[in-house]
Amino acid sequence: MSEHKPRKSIEKKMPKAFGWMAEYQDENNLLAAARKVRDSGYTKTDAFTPFPVHGIDEALGIKPTILPFIVLCAGFTGLATALLMQWWTNGFDYKYIISGKPFGITPASIPIAFELTVLFSAFTAFLGMIALNSLPKFSNPVFTNPRFDRATNDRFFLFVEATDKYYNRESVKELLGGTHPDSLDEVLEDTTPSTLPQPIILALLLLVVAGLIPGMIILNMRAGFSTAPRFHVFFDMDFQPKKKAQQQTTIFVDGRTMRPQVAGTIARGQLEEQDPFYLGYDPSKLTMSNDSPSVLFVSLQTPADGKPPIAVPPATKDEKTGGQPPATPVVPVLPWIVKLPIEANEDNMKVGKLKFETYCSACHGYGGYGDGLVHKRADALAQGYWLPPTSLHIDRVSKQPVGQIFNTITKGQGKMASYASSLTPKERWSIVLYVRALQRSRNANIDDVPVESRFLLDEDPKPVDPKPESTNSVEVTSK
Amino acid sequence: MNLNYDKASIEIPESWRAKAPIILSAGLIFLVVGMACCFMATSKGGDYTQALKYLTHSYLANFFYVFSFTLGALFFILVQFLTRAGWSSSIRRLAEILMMTIPYLALLFVPILVMLFAGSSALYGWNADPKDMENSVIASKATFFLSKEFFTIRTIAYFTIWILTASWFFRLSRQQDESGDTELSSLRQKWSGPLIMVFALSVSFAAFDWLMSIDADWYSTIFGVYVFSGSMMGFFALMIILCMLLQNAGKVQKLVTVEHFHDMGKFLFGFVMFWSYIAFSQLVLIWYANIPEETFWYQVRLEGGWKAFSYGIILVHFIIPFLFLMSRHIRRSRTLLATGAAWVLFAHWYDMTFLVMPNAGSAEFFPMVGHLLGGVGMLCIFSAIFIQRATGVPLVAMRDPRLPEALSYANPIL
Amino acid sequence: MATIASNFNLREIDNTDDIPGRRAPLITGNQSYASVTDIVCRVAEDPQPMLWYILFGFSSLTAVMFLSLIGFLILKGVGIWGNMNPVFWAWPIVNFVFWVGIAHAGTLISAILFLFRQNWRTSINRAAEAMTIFAVICAGIYPGIHVGRAWLAFWLLPYPSLNLWMWPQFRSPLLWDVFAVGTYASVSLVFWYMGMIPDLATYRDRSKSPLRRMIYGLLCLGWTGSSRHWLRYEKAYTLLAAFAAPLVLSVHTVVSFDFAVSQVAGWHTTIFPPYFVAGAIFSGFAMVVTLMVPARSIYKLENLITLRHLDNMNKIILATGSLVGLAYATEFFMAWYSQNQYEYFTFFNRAFGPYWWAYWTMVTCNVISPQLFWFKKLRTSTFWMVVICIFVNIGMWFERFVITVTSLSRDFLPSSWGYFRPTMFDGLMFFGSFGVFLTLFLLFCRYLPTIAMSEVKGVMSAVSHAAHSKDGTHGQNH
Repeated sequence: MSEHKPRKSIEKKMPKAFGWMAEYQDENNLLAAARKVRDSGYTKTDAFTPFPVHGIDEALGIKPTILPFIVLCAGFTGLATALLMQWWTNGFDYKYIISGKPFGITPASIPIAFELTVLFSAFTAFLGMIALNSLPKFSNPVFTNPRFDRATNDRFFLFVEATDKYYNRESVKELLGGTHPDSLDEVLEDTTPSTLPQPIILALLLLVVAGLIPGMIILNMRAGFSTAPRFHVFFDMDFQPKKKAQQQTTIFVDGRTMRPQVAGTIARGQLEEQDPFYLGYDPSKLTMSNDSPSVLFVSLQTPADGKPPIAVPPATKDEKTGGQPPATPVVPVLPWIVKLPIEANEDNMKVGKLKFETYCSACHGYGGYGDGLVHKRADALAQGYWLPPTSLHIDRVSKQPVGQIFNTITKGQGKMASYASSLTPKERWSIVLYVRALQRSRNANIDDVPVESRFLLDEDPKPVDPKPESTNSVEVTSK
Repeated sequence: MNLNYDKASIEIPESWRAKAPIILSAGLIFLVVGMACCFMATSKGGDYTQALKYLTHSYLANFFYVFSFTLGALFFILVQFLTRAGWSSSIRRLAEILMMTIPYLALLFVPILVMLFAGSSALYGWNADPKDMENSVIASKATFFLSKEFFTIRTIAYFTIWILTASWFFRLSRQQDESGDTELSSLRQKWSGPLIMVFALSVSFAAFDWLMSIDADWYSTIFGVYVFSGSMMGFFALMIILCMLLQNAGKVQKLVTVEHFHDMGKFLFGFVMFWSYIAFSQLVLIWYANIPEETFWYQVRLEGGWKAFSYGIILVHFIIPFLFLMSRHIRRSRTLLATGAAWVLFAHWYDMTFLVMPNAGSAEFFPMVGHLLGGVGMLCIFSAIFIQRATGVPLVAMRDPRLPEALSYANPIL
Repeated sequence: MATIASNFNLREIDNTDDIPGRRAPLITGNQSYASVTDIVCRVAEDPQPMLWYILFGFSSLTAVMFLSLIGFLILKGVGIWGNMNPVFWAWPIVNFVFWVGIAHAGTLISAILFLFRQNWRTSINRAAEAMTIFAVICAGIYPGIHVGRAWLAFWLLPYPSLNLWMWPQFRSPLLWDVFAVGTYASVSLVFWYMGMIPDLATYRDRSKSPLRRMIYGLLCLGWTGSSRHWLRYEKAYTLLAAFAAPLVLSVHTVVSFDFAVSQVAGWHTTIFPPYFVAGAIFSGFAMVVTLMVPARSIYKLENLITLRHLDNMNKIILATGSLVGLAYATEFFMAWYSQNQYEYFTFFNRAFGPYWWAYWTMVTCNVISPQLFWFKKLRTSTFWMVVICIFVNIGMWFERFVITVTSLSRDFLPSSWGYFRPTMFDGLMFFGSFGVFLTLFLLFCRYLPTIAMSEVKGVMSAVSHAAHSKDGTHGQNH
């Protein structure tokens, strides 16, 4: 900054000389002079021009810069940074699936890789130029010459430094004088004080302090402990005019926020609660029992056609309502319906097959043996800890009334989730129909196969194919 | 213009002219052998359906490979006049001769039209009997747009546009050789703007018709730009090799300078990048949206043995030429640049194969060798046509008013 | 200075004709290096004209209104805008893409035209780059305030957070946008600043007041014009240009990815990247012409920014406008060719659905109005070129509106179809962003070198050199 001070207060002692500077009006004169100086053997030379003069590098003997190489390295660094960053963050450290895209490096990584390559290269080109040129440099002896102000306007200067090994004050003056310069001056040391003026230092200090304040406040808030309530910038967001479940209110006489159903109205879906088609049991025949759940469960296994119940291990069922503390809990006895509410025709069978293979086969397998793909994969991963899906052909399932199978599909059981949201009741019944067909096919004999289709069996020595295809044509009704 | 030049130094080398018939017959032999190889290797027993498919696809890919150079040349000429470029004046005539091969190359498209009218659907599935088409999408297109009649009309229209444009520009250029009238340059400048728009439209639709409709289910709006970018890249590669070969034969020594090689090298580099940009844009949009109507096109290219080939295009068509042509030193060295250009010529053939061949069937060794031989054959035929066109034409437009500019400019820094 | 006096006589000299073989002068009025310096420095040294104060007062008030509305938005939430189901991406994204598009001209002029050795760029590149920076600022504001909790926008950056324990989602095109626009903004800023360093040194050396001298001295980093510095400077400038050129393409490409990687009909089409880039250059040049025409007349820069420059820019507008038209046509054709009912419906709906007015405004302004530039009379008439360029900018805003709103308002689920209505805040905030843009541009004209003096002088030197060497008088210099 000292270059703009007037240079009147030159001290008594002779300032140090840096070299000679010649001024030209025209870049061609400059080039001619530069060649002359170069041919005289001087290497510590420089030209100052208002724009890049072409040919000056050759005229002065300036070597090419290594900047492109530095930039190339920076570009590859940027590329590597981008790819590593994306792999590390999204493919390794914090993996999560987004629209089924693979982890790691994918086509989606390319845009950012490109941008960071450019970012690194561009900044390196700029900062490298600054650094190689040793900028910023505010105090420079060349500025001591007032004529030098025109170096950025319309004049061209040639400078021979005193540090050159062939430098001789008189001979350089003579050499430059012979190139017809407009002016020839000796470059002298800048003798103006190089310290910043007091007010500027103060202003800078103030700026630094002011700049630190927000950071300190944030730091204090993050690290400190305070019992004072937080400051609510967005009051209407923090305190919204609404009530949550179980809260009290003064609007209603009973003081409850949650409102009971208005008499004489039916809520959405409520009508279905009375229809066996949606439930799998007939609610009008619902009774309550004091029997223990296991006894009750066994009784439920007894089909209506009077076949003897089969002893099965107790299973849990979440059909309890209310929570009675006595030792003998009262549970509802579910009167499962035993007759399919849909017709056992080919259309329904097809729907059942399609839906079974879509939703059920993943775990239960195409044949219903509990050997679906999920099971195979989980079994391989869990190495023995995996509880396999129930086979649909064990007696516990095959003896269940159709209503209970429907209920399982609707509400889920154990690990199995509810499929009520994915399948319509009709589709669920179709699946029940299909499951019944699957189960029936396990106990089929040759009489069940239509005469005209029996030749199919002859070609294949295997008696029964577990694949469900073989049961397609079997006429099945529920008991 | 007081440029002293030796008239013989701007003529096509005598040795080339002498070799032209040999090159032509070699080309025909290569083409026939290649196609026969394709055909024999894919015909199984008495079933020639697959063989015919392979044969026609290979022919189309190789035809468009050499034809794309002429499209690049035509665009180059148009854009040089549009931008009033001076630097290219001394190499422009070579591009003009290249674009004048279009009428001959148009004849090579006739077999495809004949095949359409013979009722074959081996190349263009939409040419099958509508009753045989399971796919209703193609059937509804095929009734009107992709019918053999309309397709032929459009093809004739494209060729007419290109041939008329090329010959008009060529005629004026030759007239200027005689008269040196600057008005002839102004006239071409004036019409280059509208013609470039017609060119853009016709190239885009030609790409849709000839290349994209071999898979009539598939569609991509960027496809025309994709084909255009590859063509420009191939054109600059060919120009570099042509200039080097001519100089090696002692021609155009002082008229094509290192600066021209440098500039063409930059364009080559630029179009390698532009092609990559367009190819990546098409890929990433289809990959990301993951809509089956579009993704199957890439799936075809990742199955049937094409997987390695398709991934290879990244290396062949982008990484190798990109790294090789990045250096200023290489772009200013004639031999090194021509080496890079030769690689790019191969990469362009690779790209054409990538676009067309997977639709013909799985990748197998012998059919691919046949396809490659066919490509070499096409290139030879093209060279012979070029030599024929160049005979009797000065290789540099010596009385172009901007020629002094082309001979004296220097690349600043890059 | 005699040369300065002659400037006024030679204004509006027609240098648009280019006789083959003889290049028309790039700058008129028989300029010397000193006169170029004078003309450019006077812009910042002389007292500003009254018009400057009027415009500045108006634009800064508009900018203040914009900033206050942002404050209001942050307090109340984005509900004050018209964004509502199903059009959640409405004016904010339209304005974002609009401003990013405007931002493309500057770096295109300074980088791509530089690589193509288009010397005429030197007179206009500085102001165009400045517009780039200011337009990126305007663009960046919109997604910043659209995220809802604007004070948490820094979550977009990949920093190891102790609170979140997670990373940004790099597979999202919206994050690519953050990187692309961020890179573009910072690289453009560096490019702009680096180009200004020698000119800031000129300002420093001409300064009369010590304060001015000190500030410009600091800004130009103590530039001396040393040839060794120039050599590295030119190399760095060329490298920056080589990187900025693909960067320009990449930015609007990534912006187009925001739309095109989705499955929304009308958004997902593969031509989007080049088509968006062409549209961006189109709108950017239109904005540059719109502002340069009054600026050159107010600051008497007609000899440096000549009709030839404007003519060239108008030609680029014509070329890119036609490309955009071609892309519209291709999209329409492909909507039919694909036989995809959703595509087909979307494009039919654009042209003949409830937003037909927006679509036809777009087509009229974007495709038809630039075709008027085929006539040289209109291309070289400052009045008509401004009119057409304003139309182009209106059209380009509508293009983004059509793309965003028509596709969203008619999505795959007919039950959620809707009709978007903007609110007062949408309009005021869009208007306000022009205030920010204009305020920054006026400040730039007043305090920074509006024309790249050193580059203009470099071209002058090269031209005179070429002329000399043709005569053979200075041939031995090379």
